[in-house]
Amino acid sequence: MSTATDTSHLIITPAGDQSVGHPLAGHMMSGADMVIQTLVDSGVDTIFGYSGGAILPAFDAIYRYNQTHQETPLRLVVPANEQGAGFMAAGYARATGRPGVFMVTSGPGATNAVTPIRDCMADSVPCVLICGQVPRAAMGTDAFQEAPVYNIMSSCAKHTFLVLDPQELEATIRTAFRIATTGRPGPVVIDIPKDVQNWTGTFRGEGILHLRGYEKRWGRLRASRVSEDKQRSFFDILNRSQRPLLYVGGGVVHSEASDALRRFSHTFGIPGVTTLMGIGAFDTKDPHCMHMLGMHGTAYANYSVEDCDYLIAVGARFDDRVAGKVSAFAPNAREVAHIDLDAAEIGKVKAVTWSHVGDAGRCLEDLTKYGLKTGFAKNFDHWQAHCADLRATHKLDWDRESDRIQPHHVITELNRITRGEAIVTTGVGQHQMWSAQYFDFTEPRTWLTSGSMGTMGFGVPAGMGAAIAHPDKTVVVVDGDGSIRMNLGELETLVTYGANNVKVLLLNNYGDGMVRQWQRLMFGQRFSGSDKTQHSCKFVNAAKAYGFTFSEQLAHKECLVDTLQRFIDHDSPAFLEVLIDPDALVMPMVGPGKGYSEMVVGDWIQPRNSTVSNELDGKTKADLF
Amino acid sequence: MANKLETISPDHAHRHVLSILVENQYGVLSRIAGMFATRGFNIDSLTVSATEDSTMSRMTIAVHGDSSVISQLQRQLDKFAEVIVIEKFTERQAHISRELMLVKVRHKPTSRTDLLQIASIFKAKSVDMTPSTITFEIVGKENKLSNFLTVLQEESTIIETARSGVVALTRGKSGLRESFLGEVVNQ
Repeated sequence: MSTATDTSHLIITPAGDQSVGHPLAGHMMSGADMVIQTLVDSGVDTIFGYSGGAILPAFDAIYRYNQTHQETPLRLVVPANEQGAGFMAAGYARATGRPGVFMVTSGPGATNAVTPIRDCMADSVPCVLICGQVPRAAMGTDAFQEAPVYNIMSSCAKHTFLVLDPQELEATIRTAFRIATTGRPGPVVIDIPKDVQNWTGTFRGEGILHLRGYEKRWGRLRASRVSEDKQRSFFDILNRSQRPLLYVGGGVVHSEASDALRRFSHTFGIPGVTTLMGIGAFDTKDPHCMHMLGMHGTAYANYSVEDCDYLIAVGARFDDRVAGKVSAFAPNAREVAHIDLDAAEIGKVKAVTWSHVGDAGRCLEDLTKYGLKTGFAKNFDHWQAHCADLRATHKLDWDRESDRIQPHHVITELNRITRGEAIVTTGVGQHQMWSAQYFDFTEPRTWLTSGSMGTMGFGVPAGMGAAIAHPDKTVVVVDGDGSIRMNLGELETLVTYGANNVKVLLLNNYGDGMVRQWQRLMFGQRFSGSDKTQHSCKFVNAAKAYGFTFSEQLAHKECLVDTLQRFIDHDSPAFLEVLIDPDALVMPMVGPGKGYSEMVVGDWIQPRNSTVSNELDGKTKADLF
Repeated sequence: MANKLETISPDHAHRHVLSILVENQYGVLSRIAGMFATRGFNIDSLTVSATEDSTMSRMTIAVHGDSSVISQLQRQLDKFAEVIVIEKFTERQAHISRELMLVKVRHKPTSRTDLLQIASIFKAKSVDMTPSTITFEIVGKENKLSNFLTVLQEESTIIETARSGVVALTRGKSGLRESFLGEVVNQ
């Protein structure tokens, strides 16, 4: 495609939207200054960034901006690795709902940012990445630190811009925020050649790029309401059902629909399960909350999915960790409703009988109003009692008598201290699943985890971002020894920037526990590449070296409660390594490609049907993932 | 659109033509082509070119799949920020679709007249000639092009072909761009 050299792509913000023009409109500025000014105008207060040759002008502009704005400077947080910057921005965005911003140089800076960009895409997290690029004249010559960022990022991000016309620079930044935050949120990458940053031109202070189709579709989505007919048919189905169940995904968190969800659930007495990403949408202490479903969901959540006759999916997408075997998912649900902002998710995996494409919160509010107005009063007491019974009978449990420290016990005790009010971030693996299962979450945006991408190393940098966003809240990073190694250097960042509210809990089982669990169940206990008993890192020493003033190792069960309390109470970044039972498993488990009726619950959770084998059978295929 | 592909395709997938107006921004072709590859849609042909409006380009994509595949494809395309509007041409909807093909054939001296006669029946033009070869230019619907090739093969050896891919417009007075912009004005 050709790139226009005129400014015909610019739309100037219509008069009336802004009563006065930008105070700096008409000023001559460098492209780099325009970038920083437009970021500030877009509400950015923190940039997570790592400098380098091709982004030097933008970093210089931050420096100069802060010299002239000493009262309201832009906070610059420098990570150990660009991937860390990305996860910090993601942690910030997940904790606030506002787009996280990170800035990296060309080549390796940009390629290190690919993983967080894809991670944000997979979990629908809004963020904006500014990449330096080699000067336009050098592009395509295999220049020093040149990488095809547009091509690489195009496959991973919600949208990617390469700014070849400096006249479009400021409009591009505004457009990036527009795209990142509207519709299904996601990451937007802006690749800016160094000479475009060094270019000088007139600052307009307004204008965005043409997005005619996108804006129109978004306008339609934003205005979308559930029609009277569809509201009626929703309640007709509800009236015919005996056992309705909400299936709540991350979309409810993204659309700030948590209150509407809770109101809907309580108004009509409908219990609900959440996905890994939906945790926090419901208060986990709410009697209607059946907690997480899926591969490592609670047994009672999965049983309720088996039993329901009307499944109401809200902002969830029936992915393979939830519906590993689609044909066997919610087998008794005669009707399935699906509410989602993304039309492409409706019917993508599971055929549905009722659907609405639009904002989850507004849809649930509309339905609640309609139900109240029409006096819908079907009694689901029997079903609620059934769910309460499932919760009590098949509750999570572990080997409480073991001499070795059980990770479930550690998290249960920590949860007692933090009372479901802490922000929790994790890496990926067993510790992530135990955290999802055993922590309480009373509010959305307090559970920050890499769900769809499953990126090890997410926990520490995401905790940094969350700490910046919420300096007044306790941020607990739960990590495994495998995951923490991936971005160990970011422990230093926590100390450098005084993230005193961050507490890093390392559950060390000397290996990649989840991999080992699969090898135990499906690969004849051949622990290829997952055993780390011979790895040499003394994590406590590492944390001390990075400047942690609290860095302890816990090896004895009897010291657990006291140590956890001191760890949380410490007034600066704290690090606690707990040597956990390396044989502890994440249970329950629905094997890959299996239905919930084949769920294995392990030795400590009460199964519903004792005839179901407690081992994954040998037919579980290794190519199902 | 009835064509050969429909009958030989193993899954009896139907052929669809999508016409898409996109913002004329850097890299839009590579992004959209990339999505087809990533999500495993089978493109038969893809054309892209400037339009009467310099801010827009038009892509025409011929693709096969069952109706659920095509509707999933449309929804995925709808997610691109650069996509302005998509039109799907179906058998029911009156539309014009054309493809251009250049085909170079080698023939015996005795069959040249026959080939030129065949070409005239198909309204193909001979655009280049040597003592032993002819290059034809033919424009038409895809099945016409395929039929032309089949008949040529009887009388000659096909050396090579180049096809432009399908382009299409709806019949009648309305246009995709006008109706899109008109709706914008009316809002």
